[in-house]
Amino acid sequence: MRPSVIWRWPLLMAALTVVGLASALLGEGGAWWGLSWVALAIPLVVMAVCVVRR
Amino acid sequence: MNVRSLRRWAAVHKWTSLVCAVFLLLFCLTGLPLIFKHELRELLSEDPPYAALPADTPRADLDAIVATARRRHPGHVPMFVFVDDDEPKVTVGLLPSPTAPPTQTRLLKFDARTGQLLKETEPAETSGPDFLDIMLRLHRDLFAGLPGELFLGAMGLVFTASVVSGIVLYAPFMRRLAFGTVRWRRGRRLRWLDLHNLMGIVTTAWVLVVSVTGVLNELSRPLFLLYQRTDVQAMLAPYRGRPVPPLDRLSSVEAAYTLVQRDLPGRTPTSVVFPNNRVGSPHHYLVWTKGSSPLTSRLFTPVLIDAERGELAMVVDLPWYLRAIQVSRPLHFGDYGGLLLKVIWLVLDLVTIVVLASGLYLWLSRRRSPIEAQLAEFEGVADEA
Repeated sequence: MRPSVIWRWPLLMAALTVVGLASALLGEGGAWWGLSWVALAIPLVVMAVCVVRR
Repeated sequence: MNVRSLRRWAAVHKWTSLVCAVFLLLFCLTGLPLIFKHELRELLSEDPPYAALPADTPRADLDAIVATARRRHPGHVPMFVFVDDDEPKVTVGLLPSPTAPPTQTRLLKFDARTGQLLKETEPAETSGPDFLDIMLRLHRDLFAGLPGELFLGAMGLVFTASVVSGIVLYAPFMRRLAFGTVRWRRGRRLRWLDLHNLMGIVTTAWVLVVSVTGVLNELSRPLFLLYQRTDVQAMLAPYRGRPVPPLDRLSSVEAAYTLVQRDLPGRTPTSVVFPNNRVGSPHHYLVWTKGSSPLTSRLFTPVLIDAERGELAMVVDLPWYLRAIQVSRPLHFGDYGGLLLKVIWLVLDLVTIVVLASGLYLWLSRRRSPIEAQLAEFEGVADEA
């Protein structure tokens, strides 16, 4: 498998995490916090989907 | 990656993980209650409620509050006044003498509007630490002070190396597997390897941020001491040789606080430290201020007010390394995005414990097998899958 394929999902998860961590730091409440929660929750949801599917 | 470098990275991952495993577990377990420190303190609090007053009720005079505290403990000296901006609270810290250790600090909590004393907290030295204090000390320094902080900081660095080596090893192990593959029917070891890889790589960015900011936090005390002994001493050079002014010659604390509010728009004063020989300046009130935007509200800037004349002496520009520590704090604690962010922090912490436990299981179950044999075995099974 090509490196770009191997790293596609991990890089997407990392990018979402960085967006989630930064948005709550740069903005107060409302949309900023919402973006932070969603961006940080997506990797957890992806992980949960991978774990529960058999 | 050739076999030689694969073997090297595997050795780095194995040994760094093993060295820090116990401490990582300690960080994760003690960090769990600390994520909800504020909520737990509120829940367990037996403090009397604040007076029900209109939201625009003005704050009581800080000099009057300090005077009340001193009347209650005439032999003590005031060390600081903290003005909370989340709740109507003013806290005065008193010490039995200016040279007494901080563990002897007696805290008096006042209603900020009425100036009424609400609660008095005995010094930690006599009352003993509560559950959250114990968790914090274990998490921060193992009850060993600065040596403990430096040791745990080193463990944080070792853990960071473990994470980086884990990232390097991810690609060779995933060469023939789609992202998120968990081979449930190929035996327990493969199942846990896949879960370890999946959970580890998904949480990598968060884990790296929390570990690096944790290391920065562990370095905060020595870096503040360095700053105190270099930059602060240079700033205070014009005052060298002058004695610390006695309490009865100090200017008004309230005036110092309102002066900063008035002369530095956009900055909110949060606390006033009395002149002392330990932190800050022996000749100034040190007023800590914070900015008004979400980011600058995390950046605290000290302002020096001449303690006798009551004049603005200096707005101190902190060096980059102290700014980095200030920004790193919320990113480590996860306390900057509401309760839901704390819940996400909790889940990520729990996932990290699973990654740690699965890594230990993988090591215990096949510790004599060389990395290239493991890789060949996994790839073989992947080919079959």
